[in-house]
Amino acid sequence: MAEPKHTVKTQAGASLQEIGVRKRLNAWAANHQLVAVETLMRLLSKPLSSLLTWMVIAIALTMPGALWMALDNMEQLSGRFQASGRITLYLTPKATEEQGQQLSDRIAALDSVANTEFIDADTALNDFRDNSGLQAALDFLPENPLPAVILVEPPLGIEQAALLRLIEQLKSYQLVDSVQLDMAWVERLQAMLALAERLIGVLGVLLALAILLVVGNTIRLAIAARVDEIRVVKLVGGTNAYVRRPFLYTGLWYGMVGGLLAWLLLILCWALLNGPVADLAELYGSGFELKPLSAAAAMVLLLAAMLLGWLGAWWSVSRHLDHIEP
Amino acid sequence: MTMVQFDRVGKRYPGGKEALSGINFELARGEFAFLTGHSGAGKSTLLKLMMLMERPSRGQVFVDGQNLGRLRPGQIPYLRRKVGVVFQNHQLLFDRSVYDNVALPLQIAGYTPAEAGRRVRAALDSVGLLGMEKRNPIELSGGEQQRVGIARAVVNKPALLLADEPTGNLDPELSAEIMNLFLRFQQVGVTVLIASHDIALIERMGHRRLILDHGHLHDGQVPAAGGIYG
Ligand SMILES: Nc1ncnc2c1ncn2[C@@H]1O[C@H](COP(=O)(O)OP(=O)(O)OP(=O)(O)O)[C@@H](O)[C@H]1O
Ligand SMILES: [Mg+2]
Repeated sequence: MAEPKHTVKTQAGASLQEIGVRKRLNAWAANHQLVAVETLMRLLSKPLSSLLTWMVIAIALTMPGALWMALDNMEQLSGRFQASGRITLYLTPKATEEQGQQLSDRIAALDSVANTEFIDADTALNDFRDNSGLQAALDFLPENPLPAVILVEPPLGIEQAALLRLIEQLKSYQLVDSVQLDMAWVERLQAMLALAERLIGVLGVLLALAILLVVGNTIRLAIAARVDEIRVVKLVGGTNAYVRRPFLYTGLWYGMVGGLLAWLLLILCWALLNGPVADLAELYGSGFELKPLSAAAAMVLLLAAMLLGWLGAWWSVSRHLDHIEP
Repeated sequence: MTMVQFDRVGKRYPGGKEALSGINFELARGEFAFLTGHSGAGKSTLLKLMMLMERPSRGQVFVDGQNLGRLRPGQIPYLRRKVGVVFQNHQLLFDRSVYDNVALPLQIAGYTPAEAGRRVRAALDSVGLLGMEKRNPIELSGGEQQRVGIARAVVNKPALLLADEPTGNLDPELSAEIMNLFLRFQQVGVTVLIASHDIALIERMGHRRLILDHGHLHDGQVPAAGGIYG
């Protein structure tokens, strides 16, 4: 037999212990970094095969995102109307004009009231006659059927509780026959918005499930394509965490790219709708403007997408990967 | 000190086939032994039990003092890092270079690229493939691929080296060289167990032989014609 040609530097027993904990930690972090970059490169190097998954994620995120944007704008709109919510006090027929004016002034002095306006019964009748075209009919009436009215304007942005307290107080005046808050429709609108919010929540959950399934299935295929590699890695001592890592990062990247695409789609939606909405608002003499998705909301969208991608991958990996043994 | 101990080990595959029965033996630390026997005798099965690629149906296997039956799933990778294996089918990855194939166990064990680099080159040097780092293993001959597999098995300096038909498709000269390589690992303290059909070579080398015959073990002797039990 020939003399050994090469020196062997192998030593039994020398293994992991000789590497310090610090070095291992660094190596672990380095591995994360490496895997993160490698998996991203792998995805980007085959954009066409990843595109389907990206688009499904993007569309699934765009739908609730767009509704959310719409809702946000509706709330902005209803906020404006709420600010103009007015209270109408109908006075008893016994109340004289002088008493009405006095009460109006007293109410105007209250902290929780911005402004009042007293309209005596005759003025009310004249206004009504001018506006309704029922002049002839009204002239037949023996006496004025309309009560005097005080219009009370609460300050802008008054809290619901304070408003209710104010109404109670106004009802307690003897001269006041009834109180009407011109806000019932705002409340109805808000109830509908709350319902819409709930619907968006349900839709969001369903679409999140869809994203989980899509990412999970994509990762399942990726695992199937790399069974040999997984076997070898496990054979030479790869832990489950090590084997899972690239797939989890892949899921994360799927989510991230999908989230970014969704963001672009939402900006596109906004750009397409902004012009027509502004025209419409102008027709109604309103300064209303369609708000785009805020940066914070976009961040939430992106993080949610990444989380969903990661979870989808995790779900798939825990179902398929741990069973692959050398 | 013992490196490997089998205590009344039996292995029955789900199909009902009794691959091993009543296996008792020990390998001392730093020992060099061959495992021979006819095809289907149970050689591969015995090696797989030491890596927990299969689990025994009866009895206990100890490696480096650890009872493998008691290992939690999370500990199995750390066992495998202590044991280097070379298989008949080299189990190389063809989507990466020779260097990356050999570096895989080090990367997994958390070595820095610099440390890994030194060890990978030392391992490739020891199998005579230093110049082929950048090649893809698919471009190599069967014997060269086999040696890449060996380099990968020893790169992490395992305490135990198992080889299943490592000279299966090599010419006699190369086979002898590979066996020499294993001997040199033994000389630096590695416990080596090699499953092989190559009776001529084994006899020339004259080391301890574990002989499997239909799942039964005979230590140190060649079974007489027709088997020595029955
Ligand atoms: N996964 C398995 N499932 C069922 N039976 C198996 C399995 N692996 C091996 N066997 C059976 O167990 C017996 C021992 O097989 P083993 O592969 O250990 O033999 P061997 O000595 O390595 O043979 P060879 O020299 O041909 O590689 C054989 O009869 C084989 O058919
Ligand atoms: Mg075999």
